[in-house]
Amino acid sequence: MMEKKTRLVKDILWFCALWGLVAGVLRMWFGLGATTNMSDSVPWGIWKILNMVAGVALSTSGFSVGFLVIVLRIERFRPLLKPAILVAFLGYGASCFALLFDIGLPHRFWHPLFMWNEHSFLFEVFWCVMLYFTVTFIEMVPNFLERFRAEKAVRFLHRISFGVVVFGISLSSLHHSSLGSLFLVTPERLHPLWYSSWLPIFFILSAIGAGMMFVILVRILYARWYDPEPVFGDPDTNLRTKICATAGIGSDGTCAPPRGKDIPLLRGLSVIAAGVLGLYLFLKVIALFVNGSWRHLVAGTWESYLFTFELLIAAVIPIVLIANPRTRNTPFGLGLAGFCASSGLALNRLDVGIFGYFSDAGTVYFPSLIEWTLAIGVIAAAGLTFFFIVENFSIFDRNWQKRTISKGFFRVSYDTLLRAWNTNLVGNLPRVTLIAVFTLPVAAALMYPPYSKGSTVASSVQPAIGLDSMRETLRIDGDRSGLYTDFPHADHQRRLGEESSCALCHHVSKPGDKSTSCSECHGNIVEETTIFDHFLHMKLVASREEKPGWYPSNHSCSTCHGEGEPKTARNAKDCMECHEKDMWLIGRPDEGMNLMEACSYQEAMHRSCIPCHEKEGKRMKFVNLEACTTCHPSMRHRTMIPGKEISEVNGDSAPRSENPNRGNVDGDKVNRQR
Amino acid sequence: MTFAILVDVTKCTGCERCVAACVKANDLDSRKANLDRFKISDGLSSNRLLSVPGIEGGRYARKSCMHCEDPSCVAACLVGGISKTEEGPVVYDPDKCIGCRYCMLACPFHIPRYEWEKTIPYMKKCDMCFERIRSGRQPACVEACPNRAISFGERQSLIKTAKQIIRKEPGLYKQHVWGEREFGGTSVLYVSDVDLGALGWPDEAAPPIPELTEPLISKTPFIGLGVASCLLGVNWVVGRRMKLAGESCDEETPEE
Repeated sequence: MMEKKTRLVKDILWFCALWGLVAGVLRMWFGLGATTNMSDSVPWGIWKILNMVAGVALSTSGFSVGFLVIVLRIERFRPLLKPAILVAFLGYGASCFALLFDIGLPHRFWHPLFMWNEHSFLFEVFWCVMLYFTVTFIEMVPNFLERFRAEKAVRFLHRISFGVVVFGISLSSLHHSSLGSLFLVTPERLHPLWYSSWLPIFFILSAIGAGMMFVILVRILYARWYDPEPVFGDPDTNLRTKICATAGIGSDGTCAPPRGKDIPLLRGLSVIAAGVLGLYLFLKVIALFVNGSWRHLVAGTWESYLFTFELLIAAVIPIVLIANPRTRNTPFGLGLAGFCASSGLALNRLDVGIFGYFSDAGTVYFPSLIEWTLAIGVIAAAGLTFFFIVENFSIFDRNWQKRTISKGFFRVSYDTLLRAWNTNLVGNLPRVTLIAVFTLPVAAALMYPPYSKGSTVASSVQPAIGLDSMRETLRIDGDRSGLYTDFPHADHQRRLGEESSCALCHHVSKPGDKSTSCSECHGNIVEETTIFDHFLHMKLVASREEKPGWYPSNHSCSTCHGEGEPKTARNAKDCMECHEKDMWLIGRPDEGMNLMEACSYQEAMHRSCIPCHEKEGKRMKFVNLEACTTCHPSMRHRTMIPGKEISEVNGDSAPRSENPNRGNVDGDKVNRQR
Repeated sequence: MTFAILVDVTKCTGCERCVAACVKANDLDSRKANLDRFKISDGLSSNRLLSVPGIEGGRYARKSCMHCEDPSCVAACLVGGISKTEEGPVVYDPDKCIGCRYCMLACPFHIPRYEWEKTIPYMKKCDMCFERIRSGRQPACVEACPNRAISFGERQSLIKTAKQIIRKEPGLYKQHVWGEREFGGTSVLYVSDVDLGALGWPDEAAPPIPELTEPLISKTPFIGLGVASCLLGVNWVVGRRMKLAGESCDEETPEE
């Protein structure tokens, strides 16, 4: 019966965990960029915030219940100590495991052990989390050893347990606040609703409160799956209550609501948790006014709604549920409070770690499928471990059946392991195999990262606007960056000698083309562009010279490349050797110029203008004729240093002399839009 | 000897020749760098450690690592992989990095970039051409600037130069040298005739970011010890009271 109740849950967990496994493999194989939606604007994603920061925060139960039981010696809560430590152990383990996928260089996770920066809060968090994980492990070990009947070791661990617990609590009080301090370094970036110099206090208070709530939730879930009586009450009484309720008999004591004997215990813990959450809520509200960030709360932005919602489910609803005697005495009320507090805590961490940065980053981050499934998969794996441990070791059950057979340690260990292997692992093997056979290929097919991401993007270059050379002015902005110059073309033409002067600046058009746009060959700012279609040439040469062989493996190569030499761009013929008549060019291309590439549009423009400007400037004694500001007046509103206005160079008809800042005005508009 | 870079925004024409020089000096992929110029709003990426984004007033401003005097990233890095050198540059040691990306979160100017597309990624940012500086040369971007908008020199003397520039043309420039005091001072200084908020400069003289965390983190060991001793004390008191109360304080003291 037990088996049936947990089977569906386990199946779902296996499904999630296996899917997460695929996600993890893909992330390791393809790297962070191809598999996640994190970016330079949002460098921390859900693996860090949800799995690490929130996961660790929900695992505070180990130290808070430990504090109550071991330090304050409130023996009443002792039954919850082992579950709390188990939750902490699994929570910390899962967090650290997920973090291995998040950091860029997982094989260096040990670096902080030897490379110290004691000014870093992250360094402190690393050490505390690592040490505390060790502490929870030491606290867990007796449970395992008990089962294996290694009494000496258990006795030794019990002897040091007080010291271990005190050490663990000190570590926890440090790193739970430090997790909040991590975000103290972003005063300019984090939304003011969440940024506060009290972040460390908020983090530790909410973690303690929600951590206790979470262990209550776990206890109730355990009861639901394995052992309902202590929490949900005696089934017979429950039935009687139900009958009473349907018969309309009032609550006169005989028909008390269903209640197990552990309810007072859980209620006691929940009251403490609600108290801590109340303090948290109180401080949070106070901080709103101290920081003056209440203005953002009433601003009506999505952040203000999110903030309100978060406080509502993280603190207000749990407190109300616990304050109300009707709900705090029922497993459902306690469970709901636990669920609200836990998910509210997770939401708070997501707000502080991710959502609060959106307004500053100017982008919105939504985790990719791989991010979601790996995050959930790690949690699912922790869940499966939970099931395995509670089924095989004495965690919740106070009256764990101690096997009285007096056997040696090794004998008992062997039996125990064999039983665990048979029932929990091999027993589930067919089902798990079935799930795996379905999950693994589907997951791989759905999540395989597209190769196109970040590889090739089509060139955004468009032809220059003024192709009509008879136009007075050409507005040149080849890359559409909004940074253009108004080139007084007609004026240049006139001064340099009308028709015959074209070749002074223009060098080539493609065959049969009167005006090849500059940007067709000269691409983005520094981008290399191909100006030569090799296949087209092979085809045309072969058809013209009737070379044997099939296109493209015909024998046209030697028409352009040297016979018997490696066919490279270096030993290719000059374009002009064939295209003397049909390509418009005066003079040969520069010596040593790579014919396969054209320089960038910007370079081309600059190279065609600046040398002449330099020469003319020297001749006419305009010192700054070659300066950038001559052609880009939008760059600088200052008087020209040598004293002569640039419009004098252009002559009276130059359009710029009438309105020298025209380009500037439009340019500004474009810039502002960007 | 602390070096610095002074940027005169009014002289910058946005030609991005400094970017080309930077790409070349750092041996980056120029093709990717150019694509990133159009893909990324401020033009900075792991292929493009320097950019010249347009800011208000039709101006362009060099944007790259500001090389703070008291850098947030140096305090943030948990393995001490980023350090402020005596010469001024803030340099990154890829051999220590574990890829946690806390530096990216901590930088108030949003400068560090990550090689997202790589399987073994590192953080990338301008290092003020540290190797070149050490061999007595200027950073590549400074050398490349055709309009002398960027100059390089000793920090204190550059601040003086900046103030001279402002004094010469008070009508043009704003009366402020960006980087002199913001975040405790930076090794990249700006003079400008427009506001530079777009580059991430704070409004007023903001304190260095590590000052927000340092007072807390330096007390950490004492907090830990304090908590531990409190716990021991409380435990002792509780134990003693139980003893005085005489009999065992067992479980089940019913509530309500």
